[in-house]
Amino acid sequence: MTRIFQFRYLILAPAIFFILLIGLYPFLKLLITSFQNITMFADDYGFAGFVHYARLMDDGRFWASVLRTVVFTAIALPIELGLGLAMAYLFLERVPLKQVFVALILLPTVISPIVAGSTWRLMFDNRFGPINQIIGWFAGHEVKLLWTVDTSLAWPAILIADVWQWTPFMFLFLLTALSAVDQEQIEAASLDGASRWRTFRYIVLPAITPVMAIAMLIRGLDLFRIFDIVWTMTQGGPGTLTETISVYAYQMAFREFDVSYSAAFALAIIVVLTGVVLSFLRMVEVER
Amino acid sequence: MSVVGRKNRTGLRFALALACTLLFLFPIYWIAAISVKTPEEIFAYPLVWLPGSFNFNNYLVLFRDGDAWSVFHSLVTAGTSTVIAMVLGTFAAYSLARYKTGGNHLSLWIISQRMVPQISIAFPVFLLFVSLKLIDTYAGLIILYTAFNLPYVIWMMRGYIQDVPIELEQSAMIDGLSPFQVILKVVFPMVRAGLFATAVFTFIFAWNDFLFALILTRSEVVTYPVQVTGYFGSQSTFWGKIGAMSMLGMLPMFFVVATMQKYIVRGMSMGAVKG
Amino acid sequence: MTSTLRNLLPAAVAIGVLATTAPSLAQSAADVAVEAAKKYAGTELTLLYEAGLQPLDPINLTGPMWEELTGIKIKVVEAPVDQLFTKMIQETKAGTGAYDILNVIPNQMPDLALAGALEPLDGYIEKYGYADEIHGIGKVYRENQMTVEGTTYGLADDGDVLLLYYRKDIFEDPDLQAAFKEKFGYDLAPPKTWKEFNEISGFITEKLGPEVHGSGMHFQPGNFQYMFQERFRVEGGKFFDPETMRATVNGPVGLKVLNDIKADIETMPKGVEQWGFIEMLNAFMDGQIAMTESWPPVGRWTAGYGRDTEALNWLPETKVGGKVGYALPPGGTPELAIGFSLAVSSTSKNKEAAYLFAQWMNSEEISLQRVQLPYAMRDPFRESHYADPEYRSRWDGAGEYLDALKAGSETGLLDLSLIQTDRYEEALRQAIGRLMANEDPQTILDDLAKQWDGLTDRIGVEKQKRVYADWASKPNAYPN
Repeated sequence: MTRIFQFRYLILAPAIFFILLIGLYPFLKLLITSFQNITMFADDYGFAGFVHYARLMDDGRFWASVLRTVVFTAIALPIELGLGLAMAYLFLERVPLKQVFVALILLPTVISPIVAGSTWRLMFDNRFGPINQIIGWFAGHEVKLLWTVDTSLAWPAILIADVWQWTPFMFLFLLTALSAVDQEQIEAASLDGASRWRTFRYIVLPAITPVMAIAMLIRGLDLFRIFDIVWTMTQGGPGTLTETISVYAYQMAFREFDVSYSAAFALAIIVVLTGVVLSFLRMVEVER
Repeated sequence: MSVVGRKNRTGLRFALALACTLLFLFPIYWIAAISVKTPEEIFAYPLVWLPGSFNFNNYLVLFRDGDAWSVFHSLVTAGTSTVIAMVLGTFAAYSLARYKTGGNHLSLWIISQRMVPQISIAFPVFLLFVSLKLIDTYAGLIILYTAFNLPYVIWMMRGYIQDVPIELEQSAMIDGLSPFQVILKVVFPMVRAGLFATAVFTFIFAWNDFLFALILTRSEVVTYPVQVTGYFGSQSTFWGKIGAMSMLGMLPMFFVVATMQKYIVRGMSMGAVKG
Repeated sequence: MTSTLRNLLPAAVAIGVLATTAPSLAQSAADVAVEAAKKYAGTELTLLYEAGLQPLDPINLTGPMWEELTGIKIKVVEAPVDQLFTKMIQETKAGTGAYDILNVIPNQMPDLALAGALEPLDGYIEKYGYADEIHGIGKVYRENQMTVEGTTYGLADDGDVLLLYYRKDIFEDPDLQAAFKEKFGYDLAPPKTWKEFNEISGFITEKLGPEVHGSGMHFQPGNFQYMFQERFRVEGGKFFDPETMRATVNGPVGLKVLNDIKADIETMPKGVEQWGFIEMLNAFMDGQIAMTESWPPVGRWTAGYGRDTEALNWLPETKVGGKVGYALPPGGTPELAIGFSLAVSSTSKNKEAAYLFAQWMNSEEISLQRVQLPYAMRDPFRESHYADPEYRSRWDGAGEYLDALKAGSETGLLDLSLIQTDRYEEALRQAIGRLMANEDPQTILDDLAKQWDGLTDRIGVEKQKRVYADWASKPNAYPN
């Protein structure tokens, strides 16, 4: 029995070692630094109390970035989910060349968000990009839409880029989930005269909920931490209009080198995020 | 439904699927077109929709100037870290799945590691790597990506392993195989689709990483996303190079998706219900 | 390969000249540096450079040349311009000594010096007798882009200045001239005031539009914030009240400037609010705008200089070669926007060798070659550059171009420089972005002032006041 006892720790240990290496030291360093006073100019290692956390609570720009990020997540996620679901239904039945289409549709998801952001930045360019040209065809005249500069267009631009890149991800998850739904139950229901909507609501939805939940969790988290696409498209502008949490964090940590403040910032985010995710996971586990 | 009706339905679906695909592909087409346009065509107004010729000069320049090495650096770091993460992670997942090591707490902790925003730990990791002399090295990035991907691998593989009927392993053990051999010879083949699916997403994550690569490299192992951002200058935006570099960075992805496609779908449907 | 060879030619010539004349002439600063550096042969120096065209200088020309002369290898690390500051502080904070020679944007010098990232150079300058050749550097660059509170931290290495570029052919068209004189009562010529600029721009747009507009500018905040700094001061504005250190950008001058800018935009091509450097350059080279204000490379590239080199073959063909005129922008005090100084990292392990390389690059002899590289982004910055007969003959308007640059180096305005300048500039960039998005100018300015005041309060009013006073007392901080 001792052999098994050692074995299960043995095969687990290397993985844990790696995770701790990147997980533990930075976390501890962040913790310590957040109670010191290290800035671009001064390296004060003395205990400074909770001054940075207090400042965080008071920081309007921080809360604004949180609000923006949450709102964006709340808008993008349902869109990606809904579109993904619609597409999954489309591809559920027989479609010639299905495999080819699915492979091609997956492409946006597998390219770097940096490339995606750069591409859309060019697409939205007023002079050199095709989007305004296409809109112009529909409108019948030249349109001047400054997507990355106009306050009412910057977020839509980022939204479009993100939806483009990640709907295929949701699509894939949902396609596999839908394929796994028990066909017999559906047929039985329609024979009983149930409407499409009722079939969906009471048979399909419960069946795909576990997968949907995972997909939403992963995507929701990524949206919350969004950086690459925003950075290449607007750098948080115009002004601070599209400054998400990560963008503001980057400014604080790597432009202004407000190291201790950034540490407090980082810890706050980690704690909140972990809390949210763990409760979500507990909820899912409980339901199972 | 009549045969004609059904054919119409399929035809309609085909048309919709085609439209969908083209819509999603359009931006990729655009970047590909940029990469082969001449400078005049890139800056032409009104727009040039179809490049006049296939001008591969941008690609040649990338290879000549050595920029194309960044794709190689990405391959090495992403590939190696994926392999290591898959091996270590699957074994670790087995420990969690079959032995319930650490119970709920450990698995929850492992999963929570994936939730950390990169920007939060970028600077401490930088300091750590400085003291370990890992800045701007393959080893540094590989260790980082491995560590970052392990939680995901463990999480996914645990689900797949739990789906494997335990009787298979038990009978193998009765046959005299050591626990290690059981994992290798019985479990691995059973979760093959899951392995592929997870490996693909792990690779993608490392391949496309920007922030860590930006902070942790200087000139030796610059990966391709960082290389691309270098082309956005204050007095020059090298759209041709951006296009060519983007395409080079996409190529391995195309290849992966094309060959692994059926595994991805199958793998995801296997683990789909358990997660 | 051929272009590299072509670029090595000047190096070969230089070495040849050096070899034959060295014994008979007093040692130039370049020679002194080479001699002194030989004892470091076999080591490697790491150079931090802005990514893009800039690094071609050390990669193709000066790096190989230096290695040939001294046996020291040069390694170039590139970073996008907005990453330079980050990378420098990052390495300093971690004490890595990763870089030896740095490219420092002068108005970030105070921050870098204060953060302890830069090595003071006065000792080396004296030891190697470089003071003489430093005197040959254009006055404003020399006096303002090298020191922080009296200590020298960098060697001014780039003559960045915003010039007015205009279409000579349009301005010299007799019909246009007559019509303009009749309408406005003064001669059609490069504008001396911003009011004239607006009138001329509107006039040209009216007469020649929509194919040609009177003007176009790169309004992207990263670029335009320098133009705002210039115009604001030309119109009489002051950034801060020197007594209270409160921001005064939101006074009547600020409002006038913003409104005037919007009026100018009316005369420019649609979508100009989104223009970056490339869009503006392309429009000018394609003949679509008659005036613009921008950095020196525009002057060279629109004339077609260097287009046939591989490094510049991403540029579209210029349709306005031979038609470009050069002048100082309205007000006659152009912004010395950005610029670069060569500095030595305080954590470098090869400080002396690094300094010697910097001295060599910056010297009369070597810098003259560097600024003439067709793909160079280093603009002329020494008296000898402006006067050089070879440069002046490079293209038809080259003499005029160099004269304008020289004038700029005498009357130019310094970028605002304080503690944590980047934060103030960030706020300014945001304000520009909001202006382009059509928000109300007074609101934008009030918010900008509030942000600046908030920054000053956090940094420390007294501290900032001193630094501001130091900057404002320089003759080229405000136009006289």
